[in-house]
Amino acid sequence: MSAEKVTQLSQTKRMFGELSFGPQDVKLYGQYTYGIAGERFFREIKDNGRIMGTRCQKCQLVYLPPRIYCERCFAELKEWVEVEGKGRVHSYTAVHVDLDGNRLNEPILMAIVEFPGIYGGFVHKLGEIEPRDVRIGLKVEVVLKREEEREGSILDIEYFKPGMFD
Amino acid sequence: MSAGRVAIVGVGYTPFRPITPDVSFREMVYEAAAKAYEDAGIEPQKDLDACVTCQDDFEHGRSIWNEQTPDSLGAVLKPVGTIPGDGIYGLIDAYMQIRSGLRNVVVVETHSKASNMITRNYLLAHAPDPIYNKPLSQHPYYIAGMEMNRFLYETGNTKEQCAMVAVKNRRNALSNPVAAYGQKSAVEDVLGSEMISYPLTELDTSSHADGGIVMVLASEDRARSLAGKPVWIKGVGWCSETPWLESRNWGEAVYAKLAADMAYRIAKINEPREDIDFAEVDDTFSYKELQHLEALGLCQRGMAGRMTSDGVTQRQGELPVNVSGGSLGVGHLVEATGLQKVLEVVLQLRGEAGKRQLDNARVGLAQSWRGIPYASGAVAILSRE
Repeated sequence: MSAEKVTQLSQTKRMFGELSFGPQDVKLYGQYTYGIAGERFFREIKDNGRIMGTRCQKCQLVYLPPRIYCERCFAELKEWVEVEGKGRVHSYTAVHVDLDGNRLNEPILMAIVEFPGIYGGFVHKLGEIEPRDVRIGLKVEVVLKREEEREGSILDIEYFKPGMFD
Repeated sequence: MSAGRVAIVGVGYTPFRPITPDVSFREMVYEAAAKAYEDAGIEPQKDLDACVTCQDDFEHGRSIWNEQTPDSLGAVLKPVGTIPGDGIYGLIDAYMQIRSGLRNVVVVETHSKASNMITRNYLLAHAPDPIYNKPLSQHPYYIAGMEMNRFLYETGNTKEQCAMVAVKNRRNALSNPVAAYGQKSAVEDVLGSEMISYPLTELDTSSHADGGIVMVLASEDRARSLAGKPVWIKGVGWCSETPWLESRNWGEAVYAKLAADMAYRIAKINEPREDIDFAEVDDTFSYKELQHLEALGLCQRGMAGRMTSDGVTQRQGELPVNVSGGSLGVGHLVEATGLQKVLEVVLQLRGEAGKRQLDNARVGLAQSWRGIPYASGAVAILSRE
C-alpha cells in the first residue's frame, strides 16, 4: 500500500473536453505600498548601501525590517539606527524543489540571518558557500548588488556570504 | 437561555480522500451536515440558532467564499458567522456564543476541497510578506525546512525521531477507515524519500485531502434533552505570534504554548501530562508534532523525540498522539484540519473509534496550527464528563 496517491485531478486519466471558466490566463493585479518604514529602508539600501532599523528606546529593541511602531509597547518609533551587515545564520535550509515541484539541479540555500542586539533580521539566500559548509551560527555578511543595479527591493541584497569578522 | 457548560452533541463527516471529483463542495458539506444533524437528533430549520463556517478564500480560488455555505447546512435565513481560519477557531466561536447565553444550538462547518487547487504552491507562496519575503520566490516549504532545522538544533531532537512520527501516524491511519494515506513504512523510507527542503523530506510532509466536517454544539440544558452522548468542551485557547518571519521564534511553538496555557486555565488543568489522556496535535510536518507536544507541556522541552522513540505516543502507549493518523495519515484538510483533530477526540470520548478505540479515553486535547508561514494556532480540551 502506498501513501503516494493521486492528489490532483489533472493527474487522473480522463478525456479532456473544453474545460474553461471564461477567458484563460486572467491575472489578478495588485500593488503593495512600502509604507513609511519600507520606503526609507529600501532608499537607504539603494542610495547609500546602508541597512537601517528603527529603535524603541523604552523596550530596547531595534526592529529589522524597520517598523514605525513597537509591537511590545505600541509606541510610535522615529529613531533610525544603522545596522552593520554582519550577522549569523540563525537557521538555514537547502531547497531542492521549485514551485512546480520539479527537482532543482542545484539546491538553493536559504537562511534566517540575525544580528547582535537586533530584533529581527533577514530571510534571504546564502551565496559563495557549499551546502555542506553551512551551519547554524555561521558568520555571514551582506552582499549588495552594484549601486546602478539596485531597484529598491529586497533583491538589492544579492545574498549573504561567509564573513570574516569578530 | 442560561450560560453554562457547552457540549458537542453531533458530528458528521465525509471520508477524507485525495481527490473528490464526484461531488461539489456544497454536496460534500450537505453530506457532512446531514450526518451531523442525524447524529445530534435535531432538525436544522427548527433547532439551529446560528452557524459558523471556516474557510480561506485563496484555498478555494474564489472571493468572499465562505458566504457560500448556508444552504448546504440548512442555515439559510439564520445568523451566519464566517471565519477565514482553522476550524477550531469556529468551534471556539460557537462555544462562546452558547457560553454567553446568546444561543442554544450552533453548528460549525469546515471542509477541504484542496484537490481543486491545481497550483497550490503558488497560492501558498502568496502568503509571506509581499515586500520582504515573496520576491525571493522559493517553494514555500523552505520556511518549514528552516524551522525544522532550528527546532532540532535547539532541542536535540533528531531527524530520525521526526521520521518515527511520520511512520507512526501513517500506520495509525490504517485503522481509520476514513483516512486517505494509511501506510506501513519504515524510518528509512522517510529519511530516504526525496529531499524537499533540508532537513525536511517528502514523507515528513502531509499530503492534502478533501472532506467535510460539521459539528453541532449545544448548551447544557439542550444537550441533556438530546438522545446522544454529549462531549463537553472544558477549555479553549488560541494565540498568534508576531507575523514577521524575521522576528518570530523559530525553535519553539510559543503560540501553541500560550494557547494551551489559556485552555488549561479554563479547564482547570494544572498537570497536563497527568490530566490529558490522549492528544491530536498538528502534524502538518513530522517535526511539528514533536514541537507541539513540547509546547503543549505534554513533555519537557527536548524530550518529545525521546518520548516518540520510547513508544509513549503510540496507540498502546501512555499518551497516544494522533491515533486518527493525524494529517500525515488522514491527509491535510486545509482549514478543516483542526476539526478533524476535534472529531477524533469526540469519537474516542464517545467510545466510537472502532478498531483504534483507546481504553481510558476520558479527557482529550485537540490542537491546530494555521500553517506556513505563520506562528498561530488553537487548542480545545474535551471531556466525556
